Amino acid sequence: MKVIATYNIKGGVGKTSTAVNLAYLAAHHGYQTLVWDLDPQGASSYYFRIKPKVKGGSKGLIAGKRELDGLIKGTDFDNLDLLPADFSFRNLDLVLDERKKPTQRLQKLLKPLADEYDFIFLDCPPNITLLSEAVFEASDILLSPLIPTTLSLRTLEQLKRFIKDNKLKHLELIPFFSMADRRKKMHREIIEHLSEEHPDVLATVIPYASDIEQMGIKRMPLAAYSKKGRSIEAYDALWQEILRRI
Amino acid sequence: MTETALSFELPANLAVEKFIAKLSKKTVIELALQQYSLKTFYDSFDWRLYNANLICEFNQSKNGSSLSLISSLNGKVITSTELDDVPAFASEFKDNVMANKLAMLLEVRALLPLTTVDLQIYKINILNREQKTVARLMIEQYDQLKTRLSIQAIKGYDKAYIRLSALLQDEFSLKTAEKGLLIRALKRQGRKPNDYSSKLNLKLTPEMTAAEAVRVIYKTLLKTIKLNEQGTIEDIDSEFLHDFRVAVRKTRSALSQIKAIFPDEHNAYYKEYFAWLGTITGLTRDMDVYLLSFDDYKASLPESMREDLNPLHEFLLFKQAHAQKELANHLKSKKYLTTLHDWELYLKRFIEKEDLQKNTHISIKELADSRIWKVYQQVLNDGAAINEDSPAELLHDLRKTCKKLRYLMEFFQSLYPPEKIKTLIKALKGFQEVLGNFQDYEVQEISLKQFSEEMMQQGTPSNTFLAMGVLVQGLEERRGKARHDFTGRFNDFKVPLNQKVFKFLFAHKSKGE
Repeated sequence: MKVIATYNIKGGVGKTSTAVNLAYLAAHHGYQTLVWDLDPQGASSYYFRIKPKVKGGSKGLIAGKRELDGLIKGTDFDNLDLLPADFSFRNLDLVLDERKKPTQRLQKLLKPLADEYDFIFLDCPPNITLLSEAVFEASDILLSPLIPTTLSLRTLEQLKRFIKDNKLKHLELIPFFSMADRRKKMHREIIEHLSEEHPDVLATVIPYASDIEQMGIKRMPLAAYSKKGRSIEAYDALWQEILRRI
Repeated sequence: MTETALSFELPANLAVEKFIAKLSKKTVIELALQQYSLKTFYDSFDWRLYNANLICEFNQSKNGSSLSLISSLNGKVITSTELDDVPAFASEFKDNVMANKLAMLLEVRALLPLTTVDLQIYKINILNREQKTVARLMIEQYDQLKTRLSIQAIKGYDKAYIRLSALLQDEFSLKTAEKGLLIRALKRQGRKPNDYSSKLNLKLTPEMTAAEAVRVIYKTLLKTIKLNEQGTIEDIDSEFLHDFRVAVRKTRSALSQIKAIFPDEHNAYYKEYFAWLGTITGLTRDMDVYLLSFDDYKASLPESMREDLNPLHEFLLFKQAHAQKELANHLKSKKYLTTLHDWELYLKRFIEKEDLQKNTHISIKELADSRIWKVYQQVLNDGAAINEDSPAELLHDLRKTCKKLRYLMEFFQSLYPPEKIKTLIKALKGFQEVLGNFQDYEVQEISLKQFSEEMMQQGTPSNTFLAMGVLVQGLEERRGKARHDFTGRFNDFKVPLNQKVFKFLFAHKSKGE
């Protein structure tokens, strides 16, 4: 089992569409896959038409009163399940804070799922919080979408420093460009510049495209309603590049 | 993620379209797929997949074709692979998961088509208010069999599943389907699962006369011979010939061991015939065994020599094909066909005539006790006479006597308490193994030397002979080890506990022998 968190300190960078589309591709290739929607906004739950509600809310979940397995919902797609979000997840930090060893909590909850799933995608809310620290502990890969702006450079460096300072040696940070607009000169320049300074950034760039935005209307992963196009190819290439990396 | 559970049958008077129309008035549905498909079931001749609770089906439709292994216990798909044609052997599958799973179960047996059904498939999604699929319904409409519905639950939507099954049972009054499709499709052809097994499953009772009982034995063996005949001629896999030969050998062994049932001249006539059958099938079987052992042969060599052995494989293949062709001709010959037919008639008429021979009317239990006890004593005596310096012939003779004992115990197994006789058969089997290995290694050494002479004339590269030399040396070592192991294994077999059980089962009623 590999746990992949889609995360960035900054919000609105395409974390959810990354988690949903890559999870769909993994499942489509035969891997048993789970998406855990940790964001109280419940965007990935929404994309799969699954009600963002968890029995017992964040308290019950973190306390481990219910096995995670019992809260999981099958999506409309083979091999792909979802653990939905709940509005109470906005308090996850507070709930975690009441526990002993809060940062190890998620890892412990995920452990029983190891036999069942090949890949677990954690769709995380932004900011560095106690929850994100718990996500870092539980994950093998931190997949970080970056919008090609100067601010992204800053957040990437912040994140790297945080990982280093906290000695998260098990965690592999994989950044890649997301929502890139080829028409914008600044985007092109930053992609070029940043790739030189940070060779760990993936070569695949996910474009800013209207068919990706349509996910909200179609309420399903991109590849489930669109069979070809630049965006599909980009996600395919991204998944292949990640598979090679891990 | 989906899991199959309940299956229902649609009554003959309810057409699928009508059912779907009615269903759409009760719940929100979406027809996800409708297509014509051909479903062919596969298994080995001896039902290995079925006996492992697996159904193997090859589904062909215009969207492609795939082979799936499905649990017959819960309907779950264990593994599935897309392919155009179904290969005969596990090793020929490209998909590794499928190849490994099949290899474990099928071993050397081929996959054979059992029966084909054509059907119309409808896949229906049951949706909730969010247009999310909460359960799936699969309808399979067949030509001559009842339409089958199965509900697939979706994880986390138990209520929808319960609601749908209640709807089908209460509103549509559907009955749950009892038997699997495979069984129903086979029944249409007058067949059923496990209609062949290589195991000799004889049901004798102690009260049977010896004549009645041997007739059951011979008839069962004859059936095995006939069932394997076609597969042997076609060389579908090597087990057809193997089972054929075992049944021939057992018939021959019974004819020489269970005497005074048939008149002597009849006995001798058929013994000669079954001996002939053993001879004409021998070479092909030998070649099969060498081919099946080839990977082991190769693995026993130093890595640098392994590829040098390949010309031997070519040679064996060629020889096997040649022997197989001759064998097939023999099995189509007048001598084979008419004598086998005569034997069948003889078994039928013999009882009717009540041909009076000495042993015809004694009870089979009495005969079995005395024969097994006598041969067992012989095994003990001959075994005890063998020491470190005894010639190989003594071990070969003992091997034959053990085989006789084994066949007798298997023929008459149903006359004794199952647990006890099984323990003894198992002990005997363990002892036979060391004798069998000793013999096999020697035969292989001799054969390999002969092969090398033949291959010499064909201009085979010298490195191949070097490799074969190393192979023979390895076999010699293994033979030496088997010879060394003999005493220990014989002592294991004749432990007091086994002797006691042998005595308990067979000795107390034996008279005069």
